[in-house]
Amino acid sequence: MAVAPRVRVDGVGKRYEGSNGPVQALDGVSFDVADGEFVCIVGPSGCGKTTLFRIIAGLEPATTGRIVLDGARVDGPSTDLGLVFQEYHLFPWRTVAGNVGFGLEQEGVAAVERERRVRELLELVGLDGFADTYPRDLSGGMKQRVALARALAVDPGLLLMDEPFGAVDAQTKKMLQDELLDIWQETGKTILFVTHDVEEAVKLADRVVVMAKEPGRVREIVDVGIERPRERSDDAFGATYQRLLDLI
Amino acid sequence: MAIDVSEDVDHTTDTLGGSFADVDAKRAVRGLGGLLAFLLVWTGASLTQPAYVLPSPLVVAETFVAQAASGEMFVALGNSVLHWIPGAVFGTGLGVAAGIALAWSPYLDDVASPVVRVLRPVPPLALIGFAIAWFGINHAGAAFVIAVGAFWINFYATYGGVEGVSEDLLDVARSLGVEGDLALIRTVVVPASLPEITTGIRTGIGRCWMLVVAAEIFGVAGIGRRILRASNNLQVDVVITYILVLSLTYLVVDVAFRALQRRALSWR
Repeated sequence: MAVAPRVRVDGVGKRYEGSNGPVQALDGVSFDVADGEFVCIVGPSGCGKTTLFRIIAGLEPATTGRIVLDGARVDGPSTDLGLVFQEYHLFPWRTVAGNVGFGLEQEGVAAVERERRVRELLELVGLDGFADTYPRDLSGGMKQRVALARALAVDPGLLLMDEPFGAVDAQTKKMLQDELLDIWQETGKTILFVTHDVEEAVKLADRVVVMAKEPGRVREIVDVGIERPRERSDDAFGATYQRLLDLI
Repeated sequence: MAIDVSEDVDHTTDTLGGSFADVDAKRAVRGLGGLLAFLLVWTGASLTQPAYVLPSPLVVAETFVAQAASGEMFVALGNSVLHWIPGAVFGTGLGVAAGIALAWSPYLDDVASPVVRVLRPVPPLALIGFAIAWFGINHAGAAFVIAVGAFWINFYATYGGVEGVSEDLLDVARSLGVEGDLALIRTVVVPASLPEITTGIRTGIGRCWMLVVAAEIFGVAGIGRRILRASNNLQVDVVITYILVLSLTYLVVDVAFRALQRRALSWR
């Protein structure tokens, strides 16, 4: 018997009224993500990646179709879905520890236990020693680590990331990618990762969902199947990269 | 001498801190110069005028000391504070609460909007009739007038702040388990708009002191009443004395509130 997928994106369509009549932003988008899998969504700008992200996150309703997470239909944001945005969206009035502990506070986790878990998470993302720092004093890469720790704190079934490394410099980006892979392997999380960077997708993903635009739809789902750690200079890396580029 | 030494240390260890100290000192000297020039012009002008038109700073200083020594000054100040505090507290509390509610709920905003637009331009002083009819010529009546003034300033400041709260922060909070309007307001809306809310409170506190004088027109005792009585008797030195009391009190309250505000917003 096949194991039920962690996430099922099932015939998702999105239509809205634009200034020049109705726009079909997404049409019949379907794919599954298995438990513990790392899936990237890539596509040209305007293919509805971010709209799809918002629908999966429960932040926007789909016009047609549905999102099923662990057998239950997603009908709004919840702690089952951990969100990480390109612009971090940290709570500026809270310290690093305050941000990471936010979800635990809502769950009513006692202060001592909360502190212990916040410390563990900060260690996991390499920010031990920054617990009492405010976001304004952090670099972009550090802010994104805080956002990741904050999302992981409530132990979501799916980690949803929307171009999380799109706003940092190339060197920081590479470092954060390596760290994310480490964290993924350490925690066994299921990750759905939206990006427009094909190289990033080849480096990170088990499978890549390639989207096409007008209307936004799935063009192909590509198995990457390269041993990690992956190097850009490997032949297999280059071949997959080229194949994805041709699809987009 | 001790100050000189510490400034020298600043220069050697931290040139940035030292230069800031220099700028501060320069500004303080300029401010002092301005104040002296003002007093000089005032003294000069007072020489050409009889005392009931413009008393000299020295005469005012004497009157100030006399009013303080007789205790009359503190009675007047105490009376004003007794309606200033409840007026400011109620007006601020209701203004902030209404601002949050209307900026948060489009439904409430639609319902309240016509009433808000009609009531907004009414000057607090036009409501003195209601103050007398509803509360009487007493602290409560004066507090009512003051509260109306504080209400609108805080209402609009808070409304603007809440309107500007990022939708994305609310999404993040929802995804971290915050459910319901009140929980979102408590965990995200209020802390995110605290800069605007506290600026409104601070502006409101100043406006309340201006209204203290106006609210006492109809006979409630306090600094404002004292100024009006002295004006009727052409005691300009007493008028200036109580204006000074008002200014100094405002200055103390404002500096204290600003310190609190800085502390609450240290994350910025």
